[in-house]
Amino acid sequence: MAANFWTSTHYKQLLDPEDADVVHPPDRERGITVEDFKLIKMQMANYIWKLAQSVKVRQRVIATAVTYMRRVYTRKSMSEYDPRLVAPACLYLAAKAEESTVQAKALAFYIRKIYSDEKYRYEVKDILEMEMKILEALNYYLVVFHPYRSLTHLLQDAGMEEMTQFTWGLVNDTYKMDLILVHPPHLIALACIYIASVYKDKDTTSWFEELRVDMNVVKNIAVEILDFYENRTSISEERVHAALNKLAMKP
Amino acid sequence: MGDGSLGSGGRGNSGGGGGGGGSRPEWLQQYDLIGKIGEGTYGLVFLARIKHPSTNRGKFIAIKKFKQSKDGDGVSPTAIREIMLLREISHENVVKLVNVHINPVDMSLYLAFDYADHDLYEIIRHHRDKVNQAINLYTVKSLLWQLLNGLNYLHSNWIIHRDLKPSNILVMGEGEEQGVVKIADFGLARVYQAPLKPLSDNGVVVTIWYRAPELLLGAKHYTSAVDMWAVGCIFAELLTLKPLFQGQEVKANPNPFQLDQLDKIFKVLGHPTQEKWPMLVNLPHWQSDVQHIQRHKYDDNALGNVVRLPSKHPAFDLLSKMLEYDPQKRITAAQALEHEYFRMEPLPGRNALVPSSPGDKVNYPTRPVDTTTDIEGTTSLQPSQSASSGNAVPGNMPGPHVVTNRPMPRPMHMVGMQRMPASGMAGYNLNPSGMGGGMNPSGIPMQRGVANQAQQVHFFELILDGCSGVAC
Repeated sequence: MAANFWTSTHYKQLLDPEDADVVHPPDRERGITVEDFKLIKMQMANYIWKLAQSVKVRQRVIATAVTYMRRVYTRKSMSEYDPRLVAPACLYLAAKAEESTVQAKALAFYIRKIYSDEKYRYEVKDILEMEMKILEALNYYLVVFHPYRSLTHLLQDAGMEEMTQFTWGLVNDTYKMDLILVHPPHLIALACIYIASVYKDKDTTSWFEELRVDMNVVKNIAVEILDFYENRTSISEERVHAALNKLAMKP
Repeated sequence: MGDGSLGSGGRGNSGGGGGGGGSRPEWLQQYDLIGKIGEGTYGLVFLARIKHPSTNRGKFIAIKKFKQSKDGDGVSPTAIREIMLLREISHENVVKLVNVHINPVDMSLYLAFDYADHDLYEIIRHHRDKVNQAINLYTVKSLLWQLLNGLNYLHSNWIIHRDLKPSNILVMGEGEEQGVVKIADFGLARVYQAPLKPLSDNGVVVTIWYRAPELLLGAKHYTSAVDMWAVGCIFAELLTLKPLFQGQEVKANPNPFQLDQLDKIFKVLGHPTQEKWPMLVNLPHWQSDVQHIQRHKYDDNALGNVVRLPSKHPAFDLLSKMLEYDPQKRITAAQALEHEYFRMEPLPGRNALVPSSPGDKVNYPTRPVDTTTDIEGTTSLQPSQSASSGNAVPGNMPGPHVVTNRPMPRPMHMVGMQRMPASGMAGYNLNPSGMGGGMNPSGIPMQRGVANQAQQVHFFELILDGCSGVAC
């Protein structure tokens, strides 16, 4: 349903963790590893974020766009669907779906501004063509739920409003992983609150107990997020570029 | 959509197509295209029949083709909204999307729905112009109940339709779903968690006859109550065969003040007052145009005379509650389903078109089909051929009616075919509101109240600027 997560296509499409990071055969043939695959998706999430800042759309649009991009790559290879085109096209489609339409020519303009690299150079026509291919790759499922709304409510309920900015930032960073494809959004929000309460040394044990959620799941998500932050220090631009170069799609 | 597999006949990477304008898209091969059945600002609607051997062989399909946007901005946002909503919803009284097709050559988009022979616009017109007889009370009640049942489902899921009118309420023709109502055309529908812009912002033209008074008076935001007003107007029209408030539309941009439409409403219902509708004085047009609005003095409520119902009649009571001025006091779809009107004889039924006493049966004409328009929307010289649906009622209106004879351009007509076991029917008369209930199937893991609510109740998103958190 459009407004009930439990009956939504988002809920029905949640993946097992091991299915979210499957490298497609054409990409594997080009030497793309699981690590490369994750890196490229993270880089594209950043790209979407940068573009979104330029065209000024809400955080929710960014989150939807990143989710679309991640969903596309559960079904399509990067060799066939160049990430450097899929990323802006997902933002373009997400903006329409979230009622804040952005013009394709504005995107094309900012693409040129952000990257001088030829490999990122795509025009309006390319974005429009990719929009349709993305619609098809998504199997026309466009409604996405995000942790932001739950977060606001949950923080209020826990009396932790002062953590809003901190946890909001954590939630933003979860889009650099595939969590949104795997876990219900409110559990991602809870994991972020859990991290925040540990980090800021706030006792939330009884509050979490009252929620009657599976704390193992929440803690596992929290561990994934913390792992991500830990590994992130070792991620360099060069590694990302090396991964992208393996795809070598555009002459 | 239960099965989750919306096939994409749209594949065929433009390779097979041969590029040019004349060749038909590959996915179209699976259908026999019969002709055009409707047209609107969004594009065209075609009638087709599934030809490939399959379980659905021979089934009629309505294909809605979206115009390509002129400004080179890809798939129209209207199409995106419609797909997005239709892909999530599933209810017997709401159209079901059976397929989406993409034509990569010209980047056009097609939505395929199961076809419905009738709609309330045609049914009302048939009674008014052809049989000169009111619609059977069982039929009126059943149509209204099913319309409310579908609407209750939509509203429970935070969807407002925003463009309910007789031509968007479809009714299935002969077959296993005969007489079942399907709410159609979700191009303007919105999930109302997000702030809703006035329709004029989208450059959309909507019939004003079914528009709620708060919108006519300049209210900026939509609530589900606007749909209930429209249902009230449609209910009255089913009873009298005439549009209830037939105002003259002011055509101007953007969003002109529709004084005549308001005047038509006030003439029937009397002027609204601040005691009855406290927010009235805050509505933009009420303040700025108060002299105009109150130029005529209408004090009495003439609704009973217009619909020829005594004020004590439950049908009148329900109708007046739908036409309540104050949107906050207006009856909701869920409340309306519980109304006494639906608990008295004749009880509403699933097949709205076949009343219990056979003598009252009316054979409605099937939809006119223009067989001279091809999928590209261009008209050919090929002669019209009989295209009435194979399941036409015996003794029906003969042959195809040519579209050019139609009184006005019509919006889409299409419908979903959800199979429903016959045993489910018991629910209709025994416990009407129960049908709309099952939004939250039991057995699904629910969190404590707040967590679950947090997924459902939506507030404007909080936007934080700058850095994205800890690791920036």
